[in-house]
Amino acid sequence: MNAIAIEARGLSARLGDAHILHNITLALPRARWTCIVGPNGAGKSTLLKALAGLLPHSGGVALLGRPLADWPSRQRAQQLAWLGQNESSGDDLTVWDVAMLGRLPHQAWLSPPSAADHAAVERALRATQAWDWRARSLGQLSGGERQRVLLARALAVEAQVLLMDEPLANLDPPHQADWLDLVQALVREGKTVVSVLHEIAMALHADELVVMAQGRITHQGLCAEPTTHRALEAVFDHRIEVHALQGQWVALPRATSSLVKPHHAD
Amino acid sequence: MNARRASWLVVGLLLTALALAALGVCVGSAGFENLIGPLLNPEADPADTAMAQQIVWEIRLPRTLGAWGAGALLGLAGAVAQGLFRNPLADPFLLGSASGASLGVALALAAMGGGAGMLGAGMMNSGVAVSVFSSSVWVRLGLTGAAFGGAVLAVLLTLLLSRGVQHTLRLLLAGVVVGVVLGAMTHLVLLFSPESLQAMQAFMLGSTSFVGWTACVLMVAVWALCALAAWLLARVLDGLSLGDATARSLGLPLGPMRAALVAVLALATGTAVAQTGLIAFVGLAAPHLVRSMVKTTSARLMLLASCMGGALLMAADTLARWLIAPQELPVGVLTAVLGGGYLLWLMQRNTRVSRGAGL
Amino acid sequence: MNPMRNILASVALAGLALLSLQARAALQITDDLGVVVNFERSPQRIVSLLPSLAETVCELGQCQRLVGVDRYTNWPASVKTLPKVGGGLDPNIEQIVALRPDVVLMATSSRAGDRLRALGLKVVALEPKTHADVQRVMLKIGQLLEVHDAQKIWRAIDAAVMAAAQSLPASVHGTRVYFEVNPGPYAAGESSFIGETLTRLGAKNIVPASLGPFPKLNPEYIVRADPDLIMVGQRSVDGMLQRPGWMSMRAMRAQHLCVFPADESDTLVRPGPRMAEGARLMARCLTDKAPGAKPPAGARP
Repeated sequence: MNAIAIEARGLSARLGDAHILHNITLALPRARWTCIVGPNGAGKSTLLKALAGLLPHSGGVALLGRPLADWPSRQRAQQLAWLGQNESSGDDLTVWDVAMLGRLPHQAWLSPPSAADHAAVERALRATQAWDWRARSLGQLSGGERQRVLLARALAVEAQVLLMDEPLANLDPPHQADWLDLVQALVREGKTVVSVLHEIAMALHADELVVMAQGRITHQGLCAEPTTHRALEAVFDHRIEVHALQGQWVALPRATSSLVKPHHAD
Repeated sequence: MNARRASWLVVGLLLTALALAALGVCVGSAGFENLIGPLLNPEADPADTAMAQQIVWEIRLPRTLGAWGAGALLGLAGAVAQGLFRNPLADPFLLGSASGASLGVALALAAMGGGAGMLGAGMMNSGVAVSVFSSSVWVRLGLTGAAFGGAVLAVLLTLLLSRGVQHTLRLLLAGVVVGVVLGAMTHLVLLFSPESLQAMQAFMLGSTSFVGWTACVLMVAVWALCALAAWLLARVLDGLSLGDATARSLGLPLGPMRAALVAVLALATGTAVAQTGLIAFVGLAAPHLVRSMVKTTSARLMLLASCMGGALLMAADTLARWLIAPQELPVGVLTAVLGGGYLLWLMQRNTRVSRGAGL
Repeated sequence: MNPMRNILASVALAGLALLSLQARAALQITDDLGVVVNFERSPQRIVSLLPSLAETVCELGQCQRLVGVDRYTNWPASVKTLPKVGGGLDPNIEQIVALRPDVVLMATSSRAGDRLRALGLKVVALEPKTHADVQRVMLKIGQLLEVHDAQKIWRAIDAAVMAAAQSLPASVHGTRVYFEVNPGPYAAGESSFIGETLTRLGAKNIVPASLGPFPKLNPEYIVRADPDLIMVGQRSVDGMLQRPGWMSMRAMRAQHLCVFPADESDTLVRPGPRMAEGARLMARCLTDKAPGAKPPAGARP
């Protein structure tokens, strides 16, 4: 069995005239949770989109050992689920309807949702604690509740690989903790999770980190290793410090020692 | 849950349509007259029955059912447009089809007026009688064909300008541009042929005056076809409501499906406009009215919006024929009053209720 | 003292005579908007912004005084060579001023009058709508152009209309007519200009005066009224056969139908000096196509 879930070789991408990704080579392991981190504008979302095959790019991307271009779109959708950042959503659909949309790759053209679809949607909605208000329409929900519904939609696909861009947006700490549990359960089941997070504290719970800056990968390695920590600190201009705290890794902002710092000439 | 509510709404709307059909059959050039009675008791008064039958079967029934057909087409097109552009203000005429149809009709009116001059007064007895009763394609095609052709060509022009259906914003902008340019050309044509102004106005405000059985059956048949296509494509509309990227990640072939939806939009709008002229507001209001009553996925929304549009236009048409009989009000005015009035009431109610759904 | 009084008296008399001469020389016209326009002498350069007014000027024999017309004026042939100064409602102000007219004749519904008056031009607003209006406008323009036999010209036109009426056989008297001006269907009612002509020809209009001059009818009304004769402009003819229920009308089945080409429609619709021509056109239609009309000798029944 192939140990690599998604692989990129010489991946470059542009948005308009700007070159966002420069010649990226990357291998994301299977049944692991990998987090992509980096400062604003590093190209993390663009990388994730390119890996999901949603962005035109040069270079090769392979999913589960097969080049992405060779996958028929339906099968690819069944194996790879995507949760985007700042997703719009129609206010009129109910929570249940939105979650059911995640089953589209599995549904035959004209058939109504099957029992398997119903079961998958229920599992997904229960996992995000959204089952109780499945009849409410999206427009009636708060930001955090809406995010959980969109997450449930991505979970309902029950894909092998899950790509999530800023999945914790609007989520309060208890639900952020829930999300952590969810991801770890998925990984235990053998699924691959790749997420872009700007919450470094959450990112440090992952199995592996991919550190990005200015469209390039500066480091890829296990979260527990010191080299990864150093790379992380370096990419944020040493404004953070990684420490161990009660068995977890945390990143604390490094405050300047005094408010009046000698000003270096630029 | 919502599915059951939606089913009830469909039944409700169809029953309303049936009631309106019965009413529509009784309303004509003499205002309201009970013709159902003579029709159901043929032996009571044969002369009465014969007249009632002719009026009802040949004139009023096709008009009333045609109003439903046109309303259903416009309601469906409105729902498709709003889903495709993810814009609650979208209406079926967004891609320039209204201006295209207007230009077609203006050109046809100008040609008919000018071209006839060549026939000359001497041909009044023989030549012109030929043109009235000839079944030549061009005469038959006339205004109806001109309107349909204009609408479809305008949409094609929009597609050409936006270079495909990939970017909805570009499609929208191209539609606006085409609409404005063709509208200006229509004004130009009318400037040089001012005698067509009155006929043009009748077209612009819409009417079911000349809808016979052929037109009625045509509209209902095209609606059935478009409704089927829209139902098959409904999942893409639902997927699109989550954004382009997510829709693509779900494996939906966006390009071909968008193109198919634009085709449905053009066909439905063109057919309705060709037979009944430009009736504003039905396409815009019908989906909103449905959404105010039940929240549902696109597939059911297509059917519901059709039924709602049909009922709305039937009601407006009956009123248009009734209020100042034997004169007729333009149907477009009444659809705006009915549909707009209800929407205003809804909005008023929503602002009182905290954070209402829908609008 | 006697010679002094004589001189004073003659001076006074001369003064009075002069004054009265002045009063007689000045022209004063009150137009349809109630505006009183004074002229030193009869205008020699005329711009017309309404076809019926230009036709009236020409009918009074003063066509040579026209220096500019609107784009819709097309009769008589000589006016086609005159400069076109735009439409009646949207005239080209600059062009009109450049033609240095002594008077501008225009419709009462045009807004250009204020602008032209502000630029110092004399504007007379007249708009004939009924048969009586045609006479009134013709006499007024006759007064303006100092044409002394305007009344005679009018009487000739009026007589021609009556002659057209009298030329009709008694059998077509009382024919019930439906006149459609435009698809819609817009009908010409009794109170319209066409309606008046029909009434003078002895025909009955299925659209009574109570519905107004050009009502937009429910086509069912026409089917139920079942007119004897249908008159229609070329523009309305297309698709008339396919109108639901229309084939059941006697007039359609027996082809009691007159179709007027665009130029003839113009004559019929325009309230102006060509009304006699219009009456003749309708009379010919009645003679040829009305159900009471006798078929021409030798023709099959």
